[in-house]
Amino acid sequence: MTDVTSGPEVAPPARSVRQLGYQWTAGPAMPLLSLAVALLIGAVFIAASGRDPLRAYVALVSGAVGGATVQLAAYNTSETIVGAVPLVFTAISVAVAFRTGLFNIGAEGQLLVGALSAGAVGAAFGGLPGPVLMPLTLGAAALAGAAYGAIPGALKAWRGAHEVITTIMLNYVAIFLMHWLLQNGPMTAPSAAGTPASAKIGDGAILPVLLPSDLVPLSRLHAGTLIAIAALVGFWALMWRTSLGYELRSVGFSPRAAAQAGIDPKLRTVLVMAIAGGVAGIGGAVQIQGVLYRVFDGFSPGYGFDAIAVALLGKSSPVGIALAALLFGAFGHGGALMQSEAQVSAHIVSVIEALVLFLVAAELVARIVAGRRKARA
Amino acid sequence: MEIGLILGAGQLAATLRLAAPLTFAALGGVISERSGVVNIALEGIMLMGAFFAVWGTAVTGNAWAGLLIGIAAGVVLTAVHAYAAIHLRSDQIVSGMALNILALGLTSFLNFQLYGFTGTPADLAGLPDVDLGPVRGIPYVGGVIDDQSVLVWLAVALVVGVHLVLFRTVAGMRLRAVGEHPRAADTLGIDVFKMRYAAVLASGVLAAIGGAYLSLEVSHSFTNNITSGRGFIGLAAMIFGNWTPVGAFIAALLFGFGDALTFSLQGTGVPVQLLGTLPYLLTILAVGGLLARTRPPAADGVPYETEGR
Amino acid sequence: MKRSIVLMVIGAILAAACGGAGGLGGGTAVSVGLVTDVGGLDDKSFNTLANKGLEDAKKDLGVSGKVIESKEQANYVPNLTQFAQQTTGLTIAVGFLMTNSTWKVAKQFPNAKFAIVDGAPANDQEKTENLPNVANLFFSEQEAGYLVGVIAGEMLKGKVGKAGSGNTACAMGGIPIPPVDKFIAGYQDALEKYGAKVLVGYSQSFTDQQKGKEIGLQHISQGCTVLFQVAGGSGLGYIQAAKEKNVYAIGVDADQAYVAPETVLTSALKRVDRAVYQTIKAVKENTFKSGDNFFNAANDGVGFGVLHKDVPAGAKSATETALADIKSGKIKPRTEVKK
Repeated sequence: MTDVTSGPEVAPPARSVRQLGYQWTAGPAMPLLSLAVALLIGAVFIAASGRDPLRAYVALVSGAVGGATVQLAAYNTSETIVGAVPLVFTAISVAVAFRTGLFNIGAEGQLLVGALSAGAVGAAFGGLPGPVLMPLTLGAAALAGAAYGAIPGALKAWRGAHEVITTIMLNYVAIFLMHWLLQNGPMTAPSAAGTPASAKIGDGAILPVLLPSDLVPLSRLHAGTLIAIAALVGFWALMWRTSLGYELRSVGFSPRAAAQAGIDPKLRTVLVMAIAGGVAGIGGAVQIQGVLYRVFDGFSPGYGFDAIAVALLGKSSPVGIALAALLFGAFGHGGALMQSEAQVSAHIVSVIEALVLFLVAAELVARIVAGRRKARA
Repeated sequence: MEIGLILGAGQLAATLRLAAPLTFAALGGVISERSGVVNIALEGIMLMGAFFAVWGTAVTGNAWAGLLIGIAAGVVLTAVHAYAAIHLRSDQIVSGMALNILALGLTSFLNFQLYGFTGTPADLAGLPDVDLGPVRGIPYVGGVIDDQSVLVWLAVALVVGVHLVLFRTVAGMRLRAVGEHPRAADTLGIDVFKMRYAAVLASGVLAAIGGAYLSLEVSHSFTNNITSGRGFIGLAAMIFGNWTPVGAFIAALLFGFGDALTFSLQGTGVPVQLLGTLPYLLTILAVGGLLARTRPPAADGVPYETEGR
Repeated sequence: MKRSIVLMVIGAILAAACGGAGGLGGGTAVSVGLVTDVGGLDDKSFNTLANKGLEDAKKDLGVSGKVIESKEQANYVPNLTQFAQQTTGLTIAVGFLMTNSTWKVAKQFPNAKFAIVDGAPANDQEKTENLPNVANLFFSEQEAGYLVGVIAGEMLKGKVGKAGSGNTACAMGGIPIPPVDKFIAGYQDALEKYGAKVLVGYSQSFTDQQKGKEIGLQHISQGCTVLFQVAGGSGLGYIQAAKEKNVYAIGVDADQAYVAPETVLTSALKRVDRAVYQTIKAVKENTFKSGDNFFNAANDGVGFGVLHKDVPAGAKSATETALADIKSGKIKPRTEVKK
């Protein structure tokens, strides 16, 4: 994480890179400060609704990682991790693109496409044994996600189409595709659930639970967590230990200067978006294979969008992403206790998450503290 | 039966109704982006307008007052985005998305706090429809344009108005200059910050009206997430219309027509979900220049610095 | 062996937690936990009704209650678990999506009681497996649909009021799932007996009101004069269309006359609130019945709501007759929608 933070700005760099630059200079304190301010504002909302903010936040923390006993604490922590796993994948997806100066808003669609592929393959070939089925489903998801990411990549590379727009549009396409496939469509399976869902995947595709149920009953901490860790390591290795990664980061800082060296810029764009899409796709597969075991219509509460916050908060770095994803996982799981214990509305939790994202994006705190508000000319 | 249904007056009247909120959002997008600021927060601003218009109407008993209150609420959210984007030079995409999530959470929260389970009050005052009287008699056309809400007419008027201002007035030219070559505009003495602020706030007003249309006019109530992504489709219409008011309106009509189609095609075996993807696929094709050349304003989304760095 | 230790630990947790949650020992203070599905508390449908049942129980029976709104399907197990860990009384799972989640948690906490609205526990092989600590609350929506279909048919036959001279009724669902379709199927069944034409549409949303309204306007332009909404928030738009075009509408789940008093003919009631209330009461009085609990016309679990003033006496008595016939089993309304 010791990168060169400034360079001669010969040409205006991609704006996302500019923001990365600011964030680096503001240091790790900035996301923490933003979090603190967001929690403060959230407390105001909680109080306005007639509830006790302190009790709410205590519940939030205890719900996420605490508990009356060690076993309860272990259970809660494992649930927080389970909630963080999909965010890790999608945040890497966003971060990989970010670092190259690209904006991948399409992690949501890529995740859905990956999930649908894994669900379809996992069910269609359900009889196959684990060592065959597992790579098949994950591979299918990665390929589908990569293809789904490569499309906006290619459109940007060859037609100059802004990836923000194309990825947002493709998100919607993926959502409608999911509705079509699962609501009385080709992938719909009659299930005891009575809700639009696909058939259950074969046992060979199920990612096993890591914690023995004797030790921590009902824990759902699954092997996908290990894949997530591997993805983080892979992300780190790619960006900081390969020449390709070095090239991508340089492009991120200064597109024109870096255009001369390395692989063809068009191919580079497609490659990065494909990687981003593939990682998000695997994230979708992992969620299906580790937690849900079938694809439910609308199963994603917006992992791909939260991913943007996670990537930003984590400053597009592996450790940062892991921490930020855990934070959001904590919000999710602890938020349930906050609801039942302190009777805080579920909507407040999303308001706080939005505030965190906004404050980080606006760098409000950093800029006010550093007095960087530029006077109007 | 099918063809008559698809091109019937009723269908086109529905198209207008469905296109109206999209038009407001798209016009807002055009103005903002023409000045160089991306306003992804249109969805959130629409929601604010939708909720507070209903709240305002319930509180004052007057739909016009409610509309103004809705606009004011939308402008507040827009001002936050404008400040972050223009003054703090934050990332406009992320700031916009954050505000969307914020608006959704906030309006849902307030809806529950104020109106609980039964929801917003049942007999809210409404906005008038424009009864064209004799025009109704005109075959086909009469059926399409008669009895449309006053806001639909406002949308059409604004399309013309924004077009005229943008392309036929000095102010419009300055706005476009700020969006294409802000540094050059600055040198010529145009206040880039002021223009951008004005543009973004104007886009907020329009988006808020679009949201108020959905709640006040269409459903006479507010339910959570009443906009359901229309702010984004409005952006798609803006892009599809090549960042021009008239183009955006035509795109909005196209998308509205597609929507109306999904209703009439129900029960005919055509999967409506796939039809729903049409606006988005069309936009992708447009942005990819696969339909025609589209080009955003040159300085779109780039925060402006007064001194060089 | 280890499992019993675990259970003892959990029991200890329960005992400790109950210090805060309402007191153990001595009284039968019952605390209830409600887990909603992703529709949220204000879905104007199951979740809202289930919560109403809980609120009624809090008032009348003195139980304490808590609610968690699930943000995503993956949350069901942890949310249910949280209540099972703390609650001494009853954990209510709202929605057919929770059948497997409830099975898992109920097996883990055999001393905690659960109720599922609209479902029965489903094991990992997707087979229904009743558990001794789970009550399955099933509703015969088709009976409610049938009853309002009779009312609609009577209005059409008698050409009463806004029903005009047409012979077409219509219904709009959110998405084609059993809890929605059963209402529509019963409605169709009844109307067929009156020789009326029935149009069916889906808004593909439980929240988009404009879509609901447009489908309503469509149906009305095709001659429909009685619109039956089975689409939650989106259905409010459907009712709005009926209001604007001065025809009738029929509400669903709860009594929706208040939405548009001049327009709403009646509502197809699914008394989730009553079912929840009765289940809580059963826990308190130790008469909890696990396994299938049916709520249908016979035990007032479903019914029809307040009738519009335009409804003539003849129609009312026809409906009462139909109700009696359903109760006696003479009429068994259809559960499959005819496309």
